[in-house]
Amino acid sequence: MIPLSHFLTVSAVLFAIGLYGVLARKNAVIVLMGIEIMMNAANLNLIAFSRFLPANRLTGQLFALFGITIAAAEVAVGLALVIAIFRMVKTIEVDRIEKLKG
Amino acid sequence: MEGLLNHCFWIPLFPLFAAALIAIFKNNRRKAASSLAILAIALSFIFSILLFLVYLRGHEEGHGTLRVLLHFPWFTSGGTPEVISFIVDPLTLMMLLVVTLVSLLVFIYSLGYMHEDPNSVRFFCFLSLFAASMLSLVISNHLLILFMCWELVGLCSYLLIGFWYEKPEAAEAAKKAFIVTRIGDIGFFIGLLLLYQKTGSLLLYGEGHPSLFSPEMLHLLKTHAVTVPFFGGILLTTLLGVLLFMGAMGKSAQFPLHVWLPDAMEGPTPVSALIHAATMVAAGVFLVARMFPLLDGTGAMTVISWTGGFTALFAATIAIAQFDIKRVLAYSTISQLGYMMMGLGLGGLVAGTFHLMTHAFFKALLFLGSGSVIHGCHGEQDMRKMGGLRKEMPVTFWTYLTGTLALAGIFPFSGFFSKDEILTEAFTKNRTLYGIGTLTAFLTAFYMFRQIFMVFLGKGRLHGHPHESPPTMLWPLRILAVLALVSGFVGTPFLFHNPFHHFIAADREGVAPSYLVMIVSTTVALSGILTAYLIYGRRAFIEDPLIPALKGFFRLLEKKYYMDELYQNTFVRAISSLASLFKTVDQVLIDGFLHLTGFASLTLSRFNQWIDNFFINGGFDKACAGIRGGGGKLGRLQTGRAQDYLLYASIGAMVSYLLFRLL
Amino acid sequence: MELFFYLLATLTLLGALGAVLLKNLVHCALSLILFFAGIAGFYILLQAEFIAAVQILIYVGAVATLVLFAIMLTQNVIGETTLKGLGQNRWWALGISLVVITVLVRAIQHQTLPSFLPEGRVTTNEIGHTLVTTYVLPFEVISILLTGAMIGAIVVAMETKKNKQQATGDRRRT
Repeated sequence: MIPLSHFLTVSAVLFAIGLYGVLARKNAVIVLMGIEIMMNAANLNLIAFSRFLPANRLTGQLFALFGITIAAAEVAVGLALVIAIFRMVKTIEVDRIEKLKG
Repeated sequence: MEGLLNHCFWIPLFPLFAAALIAIFKNNRRKAASSLAILAIALSFIFSILLFLVYLRGHEEGHGTLRVLLHFPWFTSGGTPEVISFIVDPLTLMMLLVVTLVSLLVFIYSLGYMHEDPNSVRFFCFLSLFAASMLSLVISNHLLILFMCWELVGLCSYLLIGFWYEKPEAAEAAKKAFIVTRIGDIGFFIGLLLLYQKTGSLLLYGEGHPSLFSPEMLHLLKTHAVTVPFFGGILLTTLLGVLLFMGAMGKSAQFPLHVWLPDAMEGPTPVSALIHAATMVAAGVFLVARMFPLLDGTGAMTVISWTGGFTALFAATIAIAQFDIKRVLAYSTISQLGYMMMGLGLGGLVAGTFHLMTHAFFKALLFLGSGSVIHGCHGEQDMRKMGGLRKEMPVTFWTYLTGTLALAGIFPFSGFFSKDEILTEAFTKNRTLYGIGTLTAFLTAFYMFRQIFMVFLGKGRLHGHPHESPPTMLWPLRILAVLALVSGFVGTPFLFHNPFHHFIAADREGVAPSYLVMIVSTTVALSGILTAYLIYGRRAFIEDPLIPALKGFFRLLEKKYYMDELYQNTFVRAISSLASLFKTVDQVLIDGFLHLTGFASLTLSRFNQWIDNFFINGGFDKACAGIRGGGGKLGRLQTGRAQDYLLYASIGAMVSYLLFRLL
Repeated sequence: MELFFYLLATLTLLGALGAVLLKNLVHCALSLILFFAGIAGFYILLQAEFIAAVQILIYVGAVATLVLFAIMLTQNVIGETTLKGLGQNRWWALGISLVVITVLVRAIQHQTLPSFLPEGRVTTNEIGHTLVTTYVLPFEVISILLTGAMIGAIVVAMETKKNKQQATGDRRRT
């Protein structure tokens, strides 16, 4: 039997990899991919816990299902924004986009 | 009929639905939007009255204070289920009635006032949302929900103050209101976290659920001591009380977080009326009243009463030197809020809430009246350019006078009773605060009548012809004038043995009415009016006669004790210089480090070149630092890149986690 | 079982690392597909077969395709422009990621986790049933969210007349 902590550790490492992608990469699409990785890591946590906690098996899986749906919505809107921004400023390198300055 | 009490959540839902519907309206559906908003708030008002009547019937049968609680399961975190919880108790009912009534009148008034604005659909959407969030704040029984509604109220005030966002002042004022109240909210939020950490519950009252106001929990909280760095050990409730009060200070514009309220005048006048009377600033006082069981008898009460007393006097002195008709009212609101806080802080739960109610009516009246004046004078707000408006605007004048008399505290107007209750409270418990309160009462009467004399009496100084406002604006004024006149009688000790007191806090012992206090405060108010008459009423004037009399002090008051300048020169400047400091550190340390690594990797034969690089680059960097440090605010940190902000957020999360582990 | 787990973990981690580290954007997206598939493998290992199927359908089927489309729409696929590297925050990002790993792993090690594997599995039938009974409200809310997001995405990404003109104008000028 594989203990729960193994799954959680893998998920933690995946989360950190995603975070690194979000913070370090220049390309906006990759930043979005990093966010997807983080979300998947969180979902993995949910499913892993649902496997090991008898009372919450259904809840955990459903929660992950909702998480996947939200991630899908988010990626659609995110990529649409990337395309719109690309059309506007002709770049999707996030460090060239400095419009958040007040 | 008793079942009706379990449907209190409909009251905020009506305006909320209205707001949602209006949000999808097209911009030219003005009629539909305004009627929908008014209909929704009218429904809420009728519902509140029904609720009140049903409650009164149940109240007489039972003993003590009846509380109807409604629990809905929300989510389960860990082992404890969180519930969405609503409450109907006397405090809630009073607020519901006041908020829905004032909102209804303001909505109707806006119909006339915003008649020509092309964006009035958006306006009614925000107004409805504003009312909805305030109403849900009032009925929530769970501190987290209360906090969420609290933030929603802040958001709506931001949107409405900045409604004319194309005006730079309005946009600035909206930002200022949002940020300044946010400073207080940080305290509030930390208080909530602390409370949850210590008790594991944010429910206020609960049947069967663990709740904050259950006797065991209150006992636990009030005997538990905590150690605060630099302060030593204090009672947990004192700390919590001060933290929660910080939130109330921001919302209710108490010194030193009062600076946003006068600037908030940049919004449309109905919004000012709503903010000052029913929704925004009332939330802070309401919070203190709501948390009263927790605060009662702790050291936080001293903080509250002194902050309130100081704010009352401080704002009143500023008000006598303002020339903008709405700014005078704004400072009078700050001053009256200080009064309420003082009353609450002295243990007068009834006195504070009573003044909150009467103040809501007469301050809404005064604001709407000033809006009518501005509307009639074609947008003029400077009192020096008005005068003699009594003839052209009779209805506005008489209703305004009613509001002024109520605010000045003249018998038998409502302000007399509520102010006296606070003063009596102060008289029996703290004579210094009583002195401050009486002095403030004098100043209040003085500056309000200064306004009356400058605006409505004397010779007309206005260019162009003033005109009376349309009936949709006058009827709310008339209704509010009646309320300003009679609403005081529900809390008078002479008729029916103070029904308001029995309603709000039947189990609390009130202070005995004191004729001495009444006589003194009436004399003081009358002498304030007399002084105003002697200075402004007897002869025509062009410059304010107070200017030669007070000289530099008047200037100091006119500039509001230079508080804005003080903040600009301390906090804003400090943050800027901190940013430049960071920049220098960055330059020296990080660049130095990079150069060091460069040094290690370079061979000795390149030594010469390296020196060149170091000095030239170093000089270049220094020049850059000079240029950027001079002009850059928060220079390097605010890069405008979303990614950098995310990085700061993650660093912050990790640092706070590590701090949490270490402490 | 154990072997399968370690194999999956290696694949998934490699996929994730590739997705954030590779130079060529298309390679990144392909690596991401590997990662998604690996996560689906974990779900099967954890007896959540339905979620695994959903994962494959949505992530590998839809999201990955969408990502590839976005890459093609915004970049020249072949050539220099795909080789976008790391931003100037890379060292900070690396540091903070390592701190996150340390903190999370420490937290995992210091907790007493359930080690007992309960019997029985969740059937798809049960999931469907719960979705339209107990969780019907979240289900509806999320449908609205999804619809809203889709419409919003189309509106945002749609080439309106105005910016189309602008774009062609730009092209003519250059």
